[in-house]
Amino acid sequence: MSSVSAAAAPKTRATVPVGIVLLVLLPLILMPLAAVFVFAFRGGPADFVRVLSSREAQFALRFSLLIAFATAAVNAVLGTYTAYVLSRYRFRGERPLGILVNLPVAIPTVVVGTSLLLLWGPIGLLGRFLEPLGIQPMFAPAGVLLAHLFVTFPYMLGAVKPVLDEIEGTYEEAAYTIGASRWQAFRWVILPAMRGGLFTGALLTFAHSLGEFGATVLVSGNLRLRTQTAPLYIFAQFEAGNVAAANAVAAVLAALSFLIFFFLLRYTTRNGR
Amino acid sequence: MEPTHSRRRGLVPALFLVALLGWAAWPWLPFSRAEATPPTIVFYGFSILADVCQEAIFPAFQKRWASEGGGRVEFASSFGGSGTVTNQIIMGVPAQVALLSLESDADRLADAGVVAHDSWKRLPNAGVVNLTPFIILVRPGNPLGIRDFEDLTRPGVRIVHPDPLTSGGANWALVAEYGSGARGAPGGEKAGEAVLAGVWRNVVAQAASARAARTQFENGFGDALVTYEQEAIHDRGRGRLAADIAYPRRTILSEHTLVVIDRNIRPHERALVERFVAFLWSDEAQRLFVRYGFRSTNAGLDAANPAFGTIEAPFRIADFGGWKRARRDIVDRVWKGRVMKEIAAP
Repeated sequence: MSSVSAAAAPKTRATVPVGIVLLVLLPLILMPLAAVFVFAFRGGPADFVRVLSSREAQFALRFSLLIAFATAAVNAVLGTYTAYVLSRYRFRGERPLGILVNLPVAIPTVVVGTSLLLLWGPIGLLGRFLEPLGIQPMFAPAGVLLAHLFVTFPYMLGAVKPVLDEIEGTYEEAAYTIGASRWQAFRWVILPAMRGGLFTGALLTFAHSLGEFGATVLVSGNLRLRTQTAPLYIFAQFEAGNVAAANAVAAVLAALSFLIFFFLLRYTTRNGR
Repeated sequence: MEPTHSRRRGLVPALFLVALLGWAAWPWLPFSRAEATPPTIVFYGFSILADVCQEAIFPAFQKRWASEGGGRVEFASSFGGSGTVTNQIIMGVPAQVALLSLESDADRLADAGVVAHDSWKRLPNAGVVNLTPFIILVRPGNPLGIRDFEDLTRPGVRIVHPDPLTSGGANWALVAEYGSGARGAPGGEKAGEAVLAGVWRNVVAQAASARAARTQFENGFGDALVTYEQEAIHDRGRGRLAADIAYPRRTILSEHTLVVIDRNIRPHERALVERFVAFLWSDEAQRLFVRYGFRSTNAGLDAANPAFGTIEAPFRIADFGGWKRARRDIVDRVWKGRVMKEIAAP
């Protein structure tokens, strides 16, 4: 940060604006973040480790991570393909579709959860026909994945589409003139150019999935050791008054998110974007 | 920028992510699984059951089942407001056994076709596993001198109350408030309504669940909270209660109903679930409930917990003709129909 501000203005003058920013951010963001760690370690490091090594905490963290990886992987493919189609093809309804796929950001996650339940749940519109076949996505890991795919879809799209829009059509056309198929042009021309967007989108998706709460609490059934994600574990422990257990897992999530955004920042500044 | 340099810098995040994925997936990898997963009982309970079930009841049953030659057994459990749990079960969560705060919620399950009507009445003690009276929590030292529900009707007392639309505990609290008036004075229903109206004129915050109301009160909001005795003495036992308990002269003993959801039990799990259900009424389990602040269905066991307060004239929901009639007569007709309308009027 100091090197950036030094380039823009003399270093001595940076102290005042930086001080104001810190002063404003202290109660808004920095202190609440610090509180997570303070309360997590209140019982000492031994207690922190004991709480984290409980079976339920371990399961919740592992389950959350697996769902986050799966969400990032599926949405990387789906989001990229959707962005590619929206950016390369002209068709009727293109604009409404472009708006629709971004809507999940604006819809309260609780509404996402209820609508998934009313659709896929055992008494839902489609779910009631699936249940006799023994297929029940809700209250199972599949339901959690469905909810996360929905909630995080716009992040992948938002990271990839602007990059695709920027890539000059001429390179792609050049590829076609030397006989490349659409897939070959995508694989060897477009994909390398949008690697940064893909990386950013995947990490953003991963981070959002890791912290998702509103939709998950409804579609998962909140079963310990089966479908309880880390945020649900935190909420349940907090409700039961076990602040130490809640904050220990919260601290791990916060540390993971910090690492993810650290990687992101390093990658994007390295590529000059 | 030279590609080799960039590759090396990308290596750290890549390795980290691979390691993270490996750690997360570890228990599910084929070579790490030491033994097959044991049979599981899926248990849903209303919120105040979380501690006693996880710390005492489940481990005790696991030991009992193993000692009887049944081998290992696991519990998958979830705890929330009684109404929330009921809605989840209606929506189709795979609950096999559910312990609900009030029988009305069991009736709702029956109305939704999840269980047979009154199926829980065939269980021991008509399905009631344990009890706890409703008490009043006040600020330390009881600065307002609140002793009974009538004191809550005094002008200026600020009451935090859970919301009867979503909370099981709030429904018990309504009947407690109404009953303390109706059963004490010769006026009967009129006196009950007067207490209810007086209390609700003073309600300054309504929380979605008894647990949430508790949190509001703990954060310094309000002068009094009507809640389960169990929560208060369990917290006091752990040195967590920053409040005094006021025992009303007349209050209700809430009765918590167990429901077995047959359609979620596969044939080979039936014996295990039935053994667990029977275990809940055993002296061993009842003693554990008492240790955690619940009153036992076997009143002889209650002496083991010296923290229980005395209530001069406790009453039960049966004194009002059961929950079906209490809901119609007290919750719907008096509280919703008259008290709330009267308060809403300017």
